[in-house]
Amino acid sequence: MLIAGDQAPDFSLPRLDGTDWGLEAAAGGPLLLVFIETDCPTCRLTIPYLKRLAEALGPDGHRVVAVSQDGGQETRELVEAYDVSFPVLLDTDLDVSRSYDPPSVPALFLVGEGGRIELSEVGFHKGDLNSAAEKMLSSLGLPVRTVADPDDGAPAMKPGCTSRHLEPVMAVGSVDVSDEVSGEVSGEVPGEMSDEASGEPLPEPIDLLPERAPRASRLTLADDEDPYEYCMSAGFSPFLPVVPPTAERVDTFLAGVPHPPDRVVGLVPPCYGPATIEKIAANAVMAGCKPEYMEVLIPVIRAACDERFNLHGVQATTHSATPLIILSGPAAARLGFASGAGVFGNVARANSSVGRALQLVMTNLGGALPGEIDMSALGNPGRFSYCVAENHEESPWEPLHVELGFGEDESTVTLFAAGGLTEVSEHTARTGAGVLRTIAATLSMVWSWRQCGRVDAVVVLCPEHAATLSSDGFTKSDARDFLFEHTGVPLRAFDHEGTEGTQARDSYEEVLIDGEPHYRKFADPSQIRIIVAGGTAGKFSAVMGGWLAGAEGSQTVTYPVKW
Amino acid sequence: MSTLVNPLDESSRDRLSPAPRLDGLEGKTLALLDISKPRGKEFLDRLEQLLKERYGVSRIVREVKPTYTKPAPGALLERLGFVDGVIEALAD
Repeated sequence: MLIAGDQAPDFSLPRLDGTDWGLEAAAGGPLLLVFIETDCPTCRLTIPYLKRLAEALGPDGHRVVAVSQDGGQETRELVEAYDVSFPVLLDTDLDVSRSYDPPSVPALFLVGEGGRIELSEVGFHKGDLNSAAEKMLSSLGLPVRTVADPDDGAPAMKPGCTSRHLEPVMAVGSVDVSDEVSGEVSGEVPGEMSDEASGEPLPEPIDLLPERAPRASRLTLADDEDPYEYCMSAGFSPFLPVVPPTAERVDTFLAGVPHPPDRVVGLVPPCYGPATIEKIAANAVMAGCKPEYMEVLIPVIRAACDERFNLHGVQATTHSATPLIILSGPAAARLGFASGAGVFGNVARANSSVGRALQLVMTNLGGALPGEIDMSALGNPGRFSYCVAENHEESPWEPLHVELGFGEDESTVTLFAAGGLTEVSEHTARTGAGVLRTIAATLSMVWSWRQCGRVDAVVVLCPEHAATLSSDGFTKSDARDFLFEHTGVPLRAFDHEGTEGTQARDSYEEVLIDGEPHYRKFADPSQIRIIVAGGTAGKFSAVMGGWLAGAEGSQTVTYPVKW
Repeated sequence: MSTLVNPLDESSRDRLSPAPRLDGLEGKTLALLDISKPRGKEFLDRLEQLLKERYGVSRIVREVKPTYTKPAPGALLERLGFVDGVIEALAD
């Protein structure tokens, strides 16, 4: 692959309309060449950002140029679907792809003065898109702007697909296909082969980040129709009555949001229905929200649709996990979110309705209905609503959002794929270490006793326990480290072969805890998150186990509260 | 009379019909897809043996999903494009 410092090879390719485009067309300024495939989800994710860059370049928008590695028809469909106005070239023979030689697409080459490559990168990277935009805009004397907002719901990076010029004739991995292939190079791509094999067209790739989606339809009810019963029978919320989302109520919500109603905030897994501002507002009305709660609900939906959170898995698993919303920062008090006594219960309209709104969005736009796509064996009371705020007033430590690198004045929503809540009573321990040892014993049980290393946990410290820890000199980080060091499963628990967690014991770390051999429960202290919440009376903290942690499960995600 | 805003997903979706059932297993090429749950390999090893011995399956292709928590990557599905059928193993 050509890299920064290389000379960009000259070439000429046909545009979609048949006219030729040559590299000299971009002389006198920077050029961003982007190699794409029409069925590559990462390429599709990238296109709206390229459009934004072309728009920022104004009359120089033609300096963003896509090189399609596919045929005219597929490329035209893509260009029409995304309303692309910058030049799109057809590299049908892949000759230009070979000369630039990216291993995968999308592949970005920023060509500067004298035809020298200044930046080359493959895959989707918000940082690189912004840095290419900054270089292009500043070299043309235009105001620099961010084209890829880090908090717009799309991941910061996403790998792409193998560049067409490197694809084998039949992509069958290590399987011997000598029987199936005559040995002739057909030039066909795997997708096309699957078409022929099945005789049916392949499903359209999912459009990962459309900017707009159609407006919601209006449903007119007859005078004698009870709107509450209608909402239940129409499947808006078959399990619990809701406030009917009348056009007037929804309009009131929309009036307070500085985005158009058809703006897509995210595609909600597992069925990927577009969560437009209008659809979110309709579900927020049904959940009983106030219009001002949209300021929190919109970033909550962004977080739920973040690929790292893997809502697809969270919604489809037989486990009971569901997103727990943790609100941190001044927005909580300003909007009336409860963080004190009874915080996990029916204590404040803001908590109850925002948590409920997320659940409605997940079923109504994400399509995961219990017993159908949502296959949870037991379910979870949190599937009605699961939303808490951190109790900053009673916490001796920095708030969660500050711990995560946000400013004191900012607010954040954090989504954690949580199972149920296990209370930990510790009324007699007089030391911080005593409190933490009791919590550690409960932590050792999350997911399944002998299963180690694969699950995250949230520890909810009640104010009294937090005060005991603080007066003993524990910082939040000290408390987490103590829990990490003291949470384990004794080796004697593994005498019963075949029980869950025993199969993976070879990968566990053996340590001594209080002189007894244990396997460490967590692989890293970062798997334990601590928040302070709840009332000032009662030494009851809680432990919440998550679903499978990490990139192969659900990663906890945090988004700033902002429009 | 009241007018409600439809809160449901209204995207149009193509309905796909299931692939035609196989008329038998004799001489077929089958893929066994391990979704990477514990002990999936043991289960599929035995299944592979039985499919060959008892049902005359001519060839078995094995694939493993990177994680059972997410859909199979497109490239993996493309690699299986040529087989007659796929058996997916849940295990545990």
